[in-house]
Amino acid sequence: MLTLENLSKLFGGVRAVDDVSLTIREGEIFGLIGPNGSGKSTTINLITGLYTPTTGKVTLDGHDLTAMAQHERTSMGVARTFQNIRLFGNLTVAQNLWVAQNGHEQRRAHFLARWFKAGGEHGPDIEELLRFSQLHSKRDLQANALSFGEMRRLEMARALASNPRVLLLDEPAAGASQEDAQLLAERIRAVRDRGVTVLLIEHMMELVMGITDRIAVLNFGRKIAEGSPAEVQMNEDVRAAYLGGSHKNEELVHA
Amino acid sequence: MDYFFIIDFVQSLADGLLFGTTYALIGIGFTLIFGVMRKLNLAYGAAALAGTYVGLGLFLTFNAPPFVVFLASAIGAGLIGLVVYYCCFRFTPEAHPMASLLASVGMLLFLEEMMTHVSHGMPHPYPSVLSGATLELGDIWIRGDLLFVFGICVVAMALLFWLLYRTPLGLATRAVSQQPRAAQLCGIDSARVNALTFVIAGVLGGTAGAMTAAAVGILSPIIATGLTVKGLIVVVIGGLGSIPGAIIGGLLVGAAENIFLLLRGVTERDIYVMLLLFLFLTLRPGGLFGSAATRD
Repeated sequence: MLTLENLSKLFGGVRAVDDVSLTIREGEIFGLIGPNGSGKSTTINLITGLYTPTTGKVTLDGHDLTAMAQHERTSMGVARTFQNIRLFGNLTVAQNLWVAQNGHEQRRAHFLARWFKAGGEHGPDIEELLRFSQLHSKRDLQANALSFGEMRRLEMARALASNPRVLLLDEPAAGASQEDAQLLAERIRAVRDRGVTVLLIEHMMELVMGITDRIAVLNFGRKIAEGSPAEVQMNEDVRAAYLGGSHKNEELVHA
Repeated sequence: MDYFFIIDFVQSLADGLLFGTTYALIGIGFTLIFGVMRKLNLAYGAAALAGTYVGLGLFLTFNAPPFVVFLASAIGAGLIGLVVYYCCFRFTPEAHPMASLLASVGMLLFLEEMMTHVSHGMPHPYPSVLSGATLELGDIWIRGDLLFVFGICVVAMALLFWLLYRTPLGLATRAVSQQPRAAQLCGIDSARVNALTFVIAGVLGGTAGAMTAAAVGILSPIIATGLTVKGLIVVVIGGLGSIPGAIIGGLLVGAAENIFLLLRGVTERDIYVMLLLFLFLTLRPGGLFGSAATRD
């Protein structure tokens, strides 16, 4: 469904992403892992359109996204969360969701009528998302006032509010405890059960190995392995990549 | 302190506060544009005045009634604001903020020259409303035309607040100003929000220009520099990016200006206003409502 074809991105002379091809299937939870600096974040930014690839293309259900602006990709069904949370801090929880739900509908036709219509953050979809994220009691609070965990939940809810086909999660477990990670895993499965395909970038190996259907491993911008969690864990190249000066090897073996 | 001095003082203060609402509008315009783009548009005051000249054109050519002239001034300034956006901001590289800043300085000079050319550098009569009427509160006389200026500026601010806090457009604008990247990923076309912000700021500036001219009954191209400088002083005092700050800053500058006028005369007035600016820049560079909030 989401495919990357021979995707490369050069920054000056550095190949941040080097000829990466991936196919993520409808309805799966796909993990993208790799040591720090291996090109995971660049890959996400290529998919969402912050960067344009030097070569290669990104397609969603056969539609070529490569030349589209970020907001156009959102309307095609791509949504993401950020490693460092980026909420609209001075808007309320419900308004954060409303912006995401309606942002991509603001097209040329009738935009005046829609843009000047008052209220609106009380739609049934928003109520449902608030319940799904257990933020219903906080709906009229400013996003700034939420706890860290609540902010992470709101960010995921906001990504879901644009009604995406594929959701890109950029290290959602960063800063989370083991317990939180457990809840997060359930939440990610619940997202998948809503019919949203998930691309998960994560350092916490336990989480990745536990919930993904398939995994791809990047190292120095290249894809060095792809397969089921079990296959990837047995892969010699992957072990070598993580052994190459990183403590993460331990996590990989014991996960 | 004798009674008449106190009366003069209160009179100056009242006049200054009423007229200060035009400065507040200009300050809000600067702040709005800075809020969504994090860039300063130095052509803003000149664009506002150019819009006022559109209204003046209708007045001189068709002898249009005052309200039509004011409305045309506001809409004209909104459209010129859009032109400024496309010429100086839309296509200048994001990574070089200096490019758009210098482009806007160029636009400021261009617009000033245009207005000087069209008006032959001469002041022209501009319609005012209620110019004969006065409201007498004891020994304090409030000029009707100033009261009208105040009323229109307050209505403009109220409309802006309604737009920003009660409409989807306002939500989108605030979202872009808080997190431009996340807003784009929510599907908001930030270029369109930026363009609309220039139009809205332009309409406010045109209203301020029209009311400045209506308060004195005369429109002159030399006001452009004054509007720009006063607007910048207002945002420095209020804190760039803060709308309440711009309102308080505008009233403060309006009041201070009139009191310096009373105490030191017209030739020294602006010297003291500038001193006030330096005082703020030194002691409180973030302004009254300056926020330490960061974003991308």
